[in-house]
Amino acid sequence: MTKLTHLAAFALMAVATLAAPARAELTIRLTDGVIEPMPVAIPTFIDEGGAGDIAASLSRVVAANLVGTGLFREIGAEAYISQVGSFDAPIAYADWQAINAQALIVGAASAQGDQIVVKFRVFDVFSGAQLGDGLQFAAPAASWRRMAHKVSDAVYSRITGEGPYFDSRVVFVAESGPKNERLKRLAVMDQDGANVQYLTDSSSIVLAPRFSPDGSRILFTSYQSGFPQIYVMDVATLQTRSLGQQEGTMTFAPRFSPDGQRVAFALERGGNSDIYTLDLNSGQLSQLTNSPSIETAPSFSPDGSQIVFESDRTGTQQIYVMPASGGEGVRISNGQGRYGTPVWSPRGDMIAFTKQNQGRFHIGVMLTDGTEERLLTSSFLDEGPTWAPNGRVLMFTRESAGAEGQAQLFAVDVAGLSLRPVPTEGPASDPSWSPLLP
Amino acid sequence: MGVWRDMDTGTKASAIAHGALIAWVIVGDVLWPFDTSSMPEVANVSLMSEADFAALQASAPKPSEAEATPPPARPEPAEQPAEPLPEDLPVASEAQPEEAPPPVAPIAGVEQPIPVPQSETPPAPRPMDRVAATPVDEQPDTPDVADQAAPEVSDEVPPDAEVPPPDQPAAAPQEAAPVVVTEADPAPEDAPQLAPTTSIRPKSRPARPAQTPQETPPPDADADAEAIAAALAEATADAPADTAAEPAADAGASADIPEGPPMSGGEVEGLRIAINRCWVTSTLSTEAMNTTVTLRVEMSEAGKPTSIEMTSFEGGSAAAADRAFEAGRRAVNRCAGANGYDLPPEKYGQWNVLNLIFDPNGMRLR
Repeated sequence: MTKLTHLAAFALMAVATLAAPARAELTIRLTDGVIEPMPVAIPTFIDEGGAGDIAASLSRVVAANLVGTGLFREIGAEAYISQVGSFDAPIAYADWQAINAQALIVGAASAQGDQIVVKFRVFDVFSGAQLGDGLQFAAPAASWRRMAHKVSDAVYSRITGEGPYFDSRVVFVAESGPKNERLKRLAVMDQDGANVQYLTDSSSIVLAPRFSPDGSRILFTSYQSGFPQIYVMDVATLQTRSLGQQEGTMTFAPRFSPDGQRVAFALERGGNSDIYTLDLNSGQLSQLTNSPSIETAPSFSPDGSQIVFESDRTGTQQIYVMPASGGEGVRISNGQGRYGTPVWSPRGDMIAFTKQNQGRFHIGVMLTDGTEERLLTSSFLDEGPTWAPNGRVLMFTRESAGAEGQAQLFAVDVAGLSLRPVPTEGPASDPSWSPLLP
Repeated sequence: MGVWRDMDTGTKASAIAHGALIAWVIVGDVLWPFDTSSMPEVANVSLMSEADFAALQASAPKPSEAEATPPPARPEPAEQPAEPLPEDLPVASEAQPEEAPPPVAPIAGVEQPIPVPQSETPPAPRPMDRVAATPVDEQPDTPDVADQAAPEVSDEVPPDAEVPPPDQPAAAPQEAAPVVVTEADPAPEDAPQLAPTTSIRPKSRPARPAQTPQETPPPDADADAEAIAAALAEATADAPADTAAEPAADAGASADIPEGPPMSGGEVEGLRIAINRCWVTSTLSTEAMNTTVTLRVEMSEAGKPTSIEMTSFEGGSAAAADRAFEAGRRAVNRCAGANGYDLPPEKYGQWNVLNLIFDPNGMRLR
């Protein structure tokens, strides 16, 4: 009887196996996609009343933002087969498929009192479906560019899955005058180069501005006293204060901690520089390194537990990581050439740096343990990378060769895509990206 | 005169030249008065300290900046409350804001928060108010965009894809088509019909027969056969319920679907290349580039996808997997085009359901 039971169980299993839908299914592994901009259609936003030119301007800024990433390619309106007559009209997917638009952005703007309301939807054309929910924003008409940046952020994040970064600003050093007598002053602009505002005059040289984590303050180095000295500026009031100066010392390369309560910087005394932190609440100064070599360019990890910095303690400029409380540090750069200006990604996964090798300068990224080094640029002089708030894009300074050479801001995707200049009114250097605007 | 006579010619010439020079110096200004109008102007100077210079420089007008920056609006910094900095921090000796070029409008003046539109109170700045996931109901009679989307997709589903009878056991067809091409073992190009995978397996079993002969043969084979037959009959009666639980597998599995021979390596490779060509990975996030997703695609006989769903993912978050899925879905739909993929119709049973594994890991650093 037991044997019969076993046989019956076996039979049941066999039948269950036979009855299961074990139909042959072809399985294919795909590993070789294409890296090319995604074709996207961005018809002019519909004016639903009173928006006037703002509707068209909004769509142009959105298109410029998306195309500027290098990840998208806009399909010209002349190629459109069908037009979007109203915001709620059904989408003629076949018409957009025919022009190979993979995504379609439909938007509209209207005036409501003194506000402009913008709404939009994103469609996956070939899947015939809307991507996510529609969104809308409202703001005074004067802030229409910010609304455009917010729309761009939402579209970008919805399609790519990356965090937003268009609605952010960049502080930089605006330069003028000949190369040997250059005047420098701090300026701030939208990440796309618009809305430039100057924060200081040109009476003294300023260097290396750095936004605080909340964007309300800016650290910078100034020669106002005749020697490099760190100052902090309140962005709203422009009130500027020195962070203190010890006799016979120079301070430079400041950067905020992630909580904004401390500043790490380099302090030079007698030809030797080490890294210090200053507690902004208590004024307490802490020395983190103590080496006869030059240590500088500290940058906190996003969790505040570590600091990456550069040092020439081995004879050449290299990158090290140490605890935020100080210590010897561990060298993480191991390639050929010299490494400097390390900056920890806001996502914490990578460190951007400047590399000099064989007479060329590069902007590169590596994992925080120094592996998977990737050089993103190469030129006569590239230096000083800064991360976008989403950790996907880098901005840096590129200076051309020769007596007429000028500094210019460039941006590049962390994958090395879409290297492009950032438009500024004149020569510019030392960019520092703000967090997303509130 | 005797001395003059004794001089050589060179000495005489030198004496005459020096005499003439001395005479010109003495009486030259009288005979040829100097034109003072051509003299450079000279200003009196005095030394000043570095501090004086800095103060002077700071107070000097700076026309270029005045032109470059808009006038007013800058709040008077001197009256502003101090930052939350320690009181004992020294203030710059020459406070920059006082001397700073006019007119820098504070950022906060420009960066107005964007309120939620419908709200009457000044809302939380950040919130991005949602438009209804489906079109707004301001015009209830206008077609709903989201509602339109689904029909457009489902309209393309061939009726035969929904035909499979729910109670049809899948057992019978299975034995006729045991060939499964996996990612690890792609189908050989010239595989004999239905043979390759099953014909190889016996080679791995030679060790067992040594023990099998030791077992005693079943004593009452007839009785067992009856029991098995009864169990089979009972189990077969339950089978429809089990298969109904997996409708997707049956979507294209009706008995009249031509199985055909297995797909050749070239055919599989052609399909792989076609989909790869439309798989745009540049818009994937860094995390999505670390995420492998498996899509189950049901195909119509015309070679067009009728249903695409993600069956599994690994290596990233659910959000990253969603983005990776969307990119894969776009690739499958886009390259199907209006005419569908070029696949052998006689082998429809082989490709009516595709498992596509989108693995971008190797592309991360390219």
